[in-house]
Amino acid sequence: MRTRFVCSLAVGLALAVAAAPQEPAASGGRAARAAVPAGPVPRMSDGKPDLNGLLNGGLSSQDIGVNLAPGEQILLTPAAQKLMQSRRPKDDPEANCLPAGVPRMAPYPWRIVQQATHVFILFEANIHSYRQILMDRSHIPEANRWPSWYGDSVGSWDGDTLVVDTVGFNDRFWFDAKGHPHTDQLHTIERYTRKDSAALVVETTVIDPGSYAKPFKVVYTARYAPKDELMEYICAENNQDVTHITTPTR
Amino acid sequence: MRVVNRVKVAFAAAGFCLLPGALPVRAHHSFAAEYDSKKPVTVTGIVRKVEWTNPHSRMYLDVKDAKGVVTVWNFEFGSPNHLFRAGWTRNTVKEGDQITVEGWAAKDGSHLAQTRQVILADGRKVPGFASGTDSGGAPAQ
Repeated sequence: MRTRFVCSLAVGLALAVAAAPQEPAASGGRAARAAVPAGPVPRMSDGKPDLNGLLNGGLSSQDIGVNLAPGEQILLTPAAQKLMQSRRPKDDPEANCLPAGVPRMAPYPWRIVQQATHVFILFEANIHSYRQILMDRSHIPEANRWPSWYGDSVGSWDGDTLVVDTVGFNDRFWFDAKGHPHTDQLHTIERYTRKDSAALVVETTVIDPGSYAKPFKVVYTARYAPKDELMEYICAENNQDVTHITTPTR
Repeated sequence: MRVVNRVKVAFAAAGFCLLPGALPVRAHHSFAAEYDSKKPVTVTGIVRKVEWTNPHSRMYLDVKDAKGVVTVWNFEFGSPNHLFRAGWTRNTVKEGDQITVEGWAAKDGSHLAQTRQVILADGRKVPGFASGTDSGGAPAQ
């Protein structure tokens, strides 16, 4: 955990060094993750915080537990515990190029596109897909939707925080590589708060009485990278890994 | 700072995370389920093919043994997205180059390995796995 954090800092520093706006791109790759000095929160014309931009950071794709908010616990039901223990890495939907679902994030950049009526989250990976959040609407009636990977998301503003309420998930994605499960009763409430021009804090409440004895909150801080752009990522084009995964070791 | 030096510095700093014993941060699948950290491999060969693909870049090496028998090794690298953001270009390694690759062998016994670093013909060492975007649980401030 500490090593990974230190490595993240080291690589981030390396990339910051490599990112030289005055250098020709062809000579230095596409490193563009220079640190952004923090300034005031930018605002849209209607006064709402402007969340638009490319971001790095998310929950650990390996173990959601390391992102637990202070005082929070993951309390699996006996059935969920049994299911989690039975899971094998080769069956992780993420390793098989299926969507990460919510709240799982792959360690790749993502972008928020904010409109008054919709907010889109564009994922570079994994997979190269998007979430659609409808602002100030009710959920689609249950009879009119089917269980899905990203669910049915509606957004609203609580002061300067964008609140995204999502239901209607399928039970197929895993919360992390450890296999934390959920059922189709899953309900997530995400709170996106732009702390300053450089940082976005995302707190997610996970509610699923089918798998967890009580709701729990996970949190992370994402960083804006205005000089970077999303790149193509087609996961299924050359996914050789699962055929070589031979052990249950996580 | 000249560009090449800047890239060297970037690679060197990122290489900190790829010292022996420090396994790459995995994004797409579990390292331990596919590779054996107790089976380090170092091979030198001629690059037969480079695949700039996802979820991983791959380089296939023709590796000749003492008897002249050629074996093709398949080395898994980070995604092109991660590598190019870390300073790689399409010219860092090209087909026909002689390179030395250090990594960890697959558990299934095939000539497959995950790359730790590449030693280029000119002696430069570049990390084969660059993944710096997983917060790894870094708490919100």
